[in-house]
Amino acid sequence: MSVSREFSNDGKQLIIAIQGKFDFSLVQEFRQAYSHIGDSQPTVIIDLRETEYLDSSALGMLLNMRKSLGNSVKGIQLINAKPDVRRILDISRFEKMFTIA
Amino acid sequence: MHVLVVDDQAANRVMLKGLIERFGHNVSCAANGMQALELFSHKGADIVLLDVMMPVMDGLTTAKHLKQLSGEIHLPVLFITALDDQKTLLECLDAGGDDFISTPPEPIVLQAKLNAHARVRELSFKLKEKNEVLAYHSNRMEREQNVVSHMLSNALLENELRFDFLQTYLSPATEFNGDLVLSKGGPLGNYYIFVGDFTGHGLAPATGALPVAQTFFDLAERGLSVATMVKEFNRRLVKLLPDDMFCAAFVAELSAGGDRLSYWNGGIPDALFIDNNGRVTYRLPSEHLALGILPPEEFNSSLSHCFIEPGQRLVAYTDGVIEMTNTQGQRLNESGFEKKLKQFGSKKQFDQLVNSLESFQKGTEQSDDISLIVVSCEPTQLPVKKDDHSITHLPFELKVRLSEKNIVGEDPVTRLVDSLSHLEGIKAHKTTLYLLLAEAFNNILEHNLLRLNSDVKEENEGFERYYAERERRLGSLENIEVSIDVNYQPVDSLICFGIRSNGENGYPADEFSPVLDEEKMHGRGMQLIKNFSRYYEWKDKGQCLYIEYDLNLPIA
Repeated sequence: MSVSREFSNDGKQLIIAIQGKFDFSLVQEFRQAYSHIGDSQPTVIIDLRETEYLDSSALGMLLNMRKSLGNSVKGIQLINAKPDVRRILDISRFEKMFTIA
Repeated sequence: MHVLVVDDQAANRVMLKGLIERFGHNVSCAANGMQALELFSHKGADIVLLDVMMPVMDGLTTAKHLKQLSGEIHLPVLFITALDDQKTLLECLDAGGDDFISTPPEPIVLQAKLNAHARVRELSFKLKEKNEVLAYHSNRMEREQNVVSHMLSNALLENELRFDFLQTYLSPATEFNGDLVLSKGGPLGNYYIFVGDFTGHGLAPATGALPVAQTFFDLAERGLSVATMVKEFNRRLVKLLPDDMFCAAFVAELSAGGDRLSYWNGGIPDALFIDNNGRVTYRLPSEHLALGILPPEEFNSSLSHCFIEPGQRLVAYTDGVIEMTNTQGQRLNESGFEKKLKQFGSKKQFDQLVNSLESFQKGTEQSDDISLIVVSCEPTQLPVKKDDHSITHLPFELKVRLSEKNIVGEDPVTRLVDSLSHLEGIKAHKTTLYLLLAEAFNNILEHNLLRLNSDVKEENEGFERYYAERERRLGSLENIEVSIDVNYQPVDSLICFGIRSNGENGYPADEFSPVLDEEKMHGRGMQLIKNFSRYYEWKDKGQCLYIEYDLNLPIA
């Protein structure tokens, strides 16, 4: 599976991990991963440690997620991006919209 | 049985020889101690009958020498003497004598004594044999322990326990530690720690440590998540360990910035966050069963995540710490341990903390393995792994012609970049090369061939509709061709791509120089191409996109 979703033990974080290629071919799967998050206002964490490839459609999907989740989450963090993935996020000025750690 | 008769009186020798031969034994005779020793060294004997008073060497001296020659095997020595001289009897016993016979001997008594002493000698043979077997096994055991010990220390060569931010106190109860502490940096400057406690001591847990250590180092080097790690540990241990053995474990990953910790705790006492004064600020309790119990389909790899305030330290330990007892039989317990943490609260006082633990259990025998680690949560300053940058010197050209069948079914851009990544020095750039090629390819495909309108993406649910429409139009395409030409020039280390289609629609002129709007869903692709390429150009009225990428540009 290239998108996996798991809540932390205390339910305060939803971790979505993307393996391999992150692009529009994951549109449905990715949207499913952040649906039904409940009313507890979790923090959504996108773990990119195993993401090798991404393109502008992935960036669009992240923005889409942000728009759709709005205030129902405490925040969205993009974590563990490899240096070259991080550079793509930086050039797209994603630090203005997400916490990149 | 071979009996040696030693007597300076020829008549006595003849009489005893005759008598004993009638019992069915072989007899040799010597006339004095010297002769007896010589005979014994050549022919040996099972029992010696020895006269006390003899010329050249008397019986007492001879007895001592004979006993010495016989070594580990018991050689019964029976003195031939009158039984009324107590002083002589005592001297005979002191010299190593085992019994006495009177002269002339009573045949029945002599026979019984010879048989009794023969049995004792037989026992001593058996004892020697058993001792040899025991020594053999003991040697073998030691050799095998050395082999396991060697394998284990080899398996732990990759263990990185020397970091400025890591303090450890590891004290095994026996030669083989049932506790296992593993530590290694990941490729992103992140850091992994494993604190494990196998049931039992000795060889068995040491053997279980081998696959765990290898998996840990492998997955840490690949930078995988703690959830992936514990799943793999459990899968291996369930297969390997007998039902009554398992491994309690605390596994954690600290982010490169030292500000985030994800962990999994199965059966290890609460790990703790403490502040600069050693006060507990947060507990990381065990939330799972230990590793090696549940089958993979029932195993729960859910992690917990913490965001860490600056100056915090992580403390993790095995139950050997809180179960240590003092000479009064009192256990240290959690409360006792946390009191000590407060008493020696700062990073600098770690040695004092350890001394204090050691003096608590001083005078008692340590019954369990003890492991204690403290990690200061600060930026790890570990290096970020970089791929090999040395660039190939062979120039090459590659032409890929794609039909609608290839485009729909075969994910051509990923395949092309995967293949190029096998070339020296290109792997390090694969994420960026993928980005450039995917953007160019999708632009040509979506605009020139499929004539999709990107503005749709801005509408509500537009993003999904855009890609659904893309799928639909792709399905009805016929007789199309997209070509990708790749050209590598080692002289200026440039990779050049030309992507074109046989579509008639040119790329819209107003998007040639897009303006970036962070919140917008479209227009981002060309902006990325502009940022990551050395040069790009729309050719043939927007039919072909030409991109140059410089492999000498720094990756990050």
